[in-house]
Amino acid sequence: MSVSARSLSGALGAVLGVEGVRDDAATLAAAAVDETAPRWVAVPATLEQLSQVLALAREERLAVTPRGSGSSLELGCPPPRVDLVVDLRRLDAVVEHNPDDLTTTVQAGVTAGALAGRLAPHRQALPLDPPGWGGRTLGGMAATQASGPLRVRYGTMRDLLLGVRFVQADGVVTWGGAKVVKSVTGYDVPKLMVGALGTLGVLVELTLRLHPVPDFEGTWLASFRSTAEAQECVARLLESTVQPSRLEMLDDRALTACSLPVAGAALAISIGTVEPAVRAQEALLSDIVQRTRGRFETMGTSFWRAYDRAQSAPGGVSLRIGTVPSRLAATFAETRAALDGAAVAGCAALGALRARVDADAAALASALPRLRAFVADVDGGVVIERGRRAMREAVDPWGPVPAPSLAVMRAIKAEFDPTGVLNAGRFVGGL
Amino acid sequence: MALSGQIAAELQRIVGADGVFTSREARLTYESDMHTLYKGEPDAVVLPRSTEQVRDVVRLCRQARLPIVPRGSGTGLIGGAMAPKGGVMVSTTRMTAILDIDLPNRAATVQPGLINLWLTDAVRDKGYFFAPDPSSQMVSSIGGNVSTNAGGPHCLKYGITTNHVLGLEFVTGTGDVLRVGGKAADRPGYDLPGVMVGAEGTFGLVTAVTVRLLYLPESVKTILATFATVVDASEVVSAIIAAGIIPAALEMLDEAMIGAINAAVGKVYPDGAGAVLLIELDGPRAEVETQGERIAAICRERAALFVSVARDEMERALLWKGRKEAAGAVGRIASAYLLQDAVVPRSKLPQIMREMVAISRRFNLTIANVFHAGDGNLHPMICYDDRQPEEFARAQEANEALLHACIALGGSVTGEHGVGMDKAKNLPLQYADADLNFMYRLRRVFDPDGIMNPAKLLPSHPACGEGFRPSRPTLPQGTWV
Repeated sequence: MSVSARSLSGALGAVLGVEGVRDDAATLAAAAVDETAPRWVAVPATLEQLSQVLALAREERLAVTPRGSGSSLELGCPPPRVDLVVDLRRLDAVVEHNPDDLTTTVQAGVTAGALAGRLAPHRQALPLDPPGWGGRTLGGMAATQASGPLRVRYGTMRDLLLGVRFVQADGVVTWGGAKVVKSVTGYDVPKLMVGALGTLGVLVELTLRLHPVPDFEGTWLASFRSTAEAQECVARLLESTVQPSRLEMLDDRALTACSLPVAGAALAISIGTVEPAVRAQEALLSDIVQRTRGRFETMGTSFWRAYDRAQSAPGGVSLRIGTVPSRLAATFAETRAALDGAAVAGCAALGALRARVDADAAALASALPRLRAFVADVDGGVVIERGRRAMREAVDPWGPVPAPSLAVMRAIKAEFDPTGVLNAGRFVGGL
Repeated sequence: MALSGQIAAELQRIVGADGVFTSREARLTYESDMHTLYKGEPDAVVLPRSTEQVRDVVRLCRQARLPIVPRGSGTGLIGGAMAPKGGVMVSTTRMTAILDIDLPNRAATVQPGLINLWLTDAVRDKGYFFAPDPSSQMVSSIGGNVSTNAGGPHCLKYGITTNHVLGLEFVTGTGDVLRVGGKAADRPGYDLPGVMVGAEGTFGLVTAVTVRLLYLPESVKTILATFATVVDASEVVSAIIAAGIIPAALEMLDEAMIGAINAAVGKVYPDGAGAVLLIELDGPRAEVETQGERIAAICRERAALFVSVARDEMERALLWKGRKEAAGAVGRIASAYLLQDAVVPRSKLPQIMREMVAISRRFNLTIANVFHAGDGNLHPMICYDDRQPEEFARAQEANEALLHACIALGGSVTGEHGVGMDKAKNLPLQYADADLNFMYRLRRVFDPDGIMNPAKLLPSHPACGEGFRPSRPTLPQGTWV
């Protein structure tokens, strides 16, 4: 260990205390990002510690990777360097919950599952359910703009994040947004931080909009012979007064992964509201499904746990595919043709799909340009959400961003993190 | 300051001779938005028809270091679409085309000058609507709605403009054309549409907007309940939310406002009420019926004087008519008023309404209230006699006192109208220096030369506030809030 490294360890220790900084081999190996082990793992217990750690990192030109639960460390380009992993899981306090305002403020290391437990007695929820949501931290979900089936009704983190406190690359603690459900005061800084992969600041505190849990919820499966028929049903549903809280389309392999009987394609639908309305909507739904030649059956809400397990199962490659509802069947077909064995599913009403597949780097490198070209004419994209390092070296995991937009993104990054402290090289265009 | 002949000629070359106004009379027409306290006439007004024309105007102005002020319909309430430093005002009134309607994907792309309601008019017969409904929607432009991130009564359920913007085309302060977002979900990279919405023209000019369309709800129900006091009504607001119901709209009017409306448009609200709650539910019929009964029960349990459910579309329109005429009706009780747009956490409504009564007494001014109670977005109208400078000064003090009270309760400086010139000075109430510094730097990325809508949205040096002639700070008849 060099002298400067030793003094850096000392400096980190002085900020974080003995238990807040680790450099033993086992911890470092476990904290590796894309097979690159950091030199230290910092586990700040306070906002002030995090601020001081980042100020130090900037001064010492350390490459910092923030992390929460670690579920999304394979999102993005492999990092060119990892000196310091900042583990946010000790920042796990629910700072406040105001049931009458339907808002909560949490630290970034709070998991969605822990928050759900705190909210349940009040019959309130943060309606965000990306795969494996229960164990994921809310800071991570914001940084990765992770979403799940409930987005059809409640939107995504971008719609639910009211305010955010973050630490900039130079350690400056910054707040954007408001703690109330409606505010247009100044720029919408929270939007900038959602999905930015921590490249503009490390998120530490989130103020979130909550929703009441519906009185009653029903879940149904509509099975079809083909994705084309399923798409036709989606089109009819979108042009109806049915108000689903989830509307997922699954291909045969995604159905199998949920231990459901095989069909050409299926829609898993839930509706949550007062009971008489759920019953009335069920009748309408059943009618539309049957008119589009589907088979309609009731499932328990436990289906959504099985779906979540299947979507978050470890291993393989996971892709986020953005398309539009009028192109569902074609996008399913194109994905399956490009990637042998792919299981495709996702939010049918918005065209936010996910493909899971066992593929190697070469297969991915040939499939992705084809898929990206296919969705390009509806301004869609394909992002590798999970996949081993070699795959994300073989092909850009984010896909192309139009040059004028990328130039602005570069300028934003250069303004707030000119020396590349935060996740440098991992975001779009190598930012 | 007059434009050089060369610049004027260049502008004419870009947008055509019929698209440039430089006469004194024409420029005066554009000297303010609906907040007539703030005046500043541009040196020229240009009316482009295309993105390319907007881009060329920006490039020209950048070269000449001329300020650019975007303007839609001029219905803003914040001193936004006016030119405190002169320069070129770019009006979108000739960019009103609907470029694309894609119902299967529930999206539409429009030019920024399109009037909000015209979009819904274009798709209503197919069963769709555009959800953001600022009260000005009959006259305000979608580009203006995007720039101010406009709200409206129904944003309680549906969210504000940003929640309905899928993509934007805009010209930055550097004259670059960006197309960001789109119909497909989840594009990688920073959320540029997200930060552009609500930037009040300080990042650039919006030249096209792709928005989400929604399918019309099966059923709508409007309920009117009256209470002895605004505090009673505020507690009912909390009780409705606590029952797990998020109405489409939840509006409150206080006694002064009820009186003004009844005097202006006929007796739409029952006499003797200290507060009116106007509650609207929409959605599946069975949901609306069930929740409507619950809300009526909550109102009755909690000291409502009177509860009525609109029986048909005509009754519903009448209940809303009073609400929509509120700003104009205040003209009946005062020659002028200041309008506040601050927000409190909705659980703090009883407190802020008590505070409001105290402020009204302390400053000896009538304050009439009509506001979005469901999300805690207040719209107190502080009435004064504009022939009395001393009373105007008192009204300004009362306005600031109210704003401070809202912030002290954990609120926000502006809920839906925006910042403009009016509230730039107030941002430090909500943001620390570091927070504001972040915003200054973000602005500089999009507009390095500081030509885009200068003196708006962020507090500037004290000297920048000079040069405004306070005149009748009254909202004109027919203003919507």
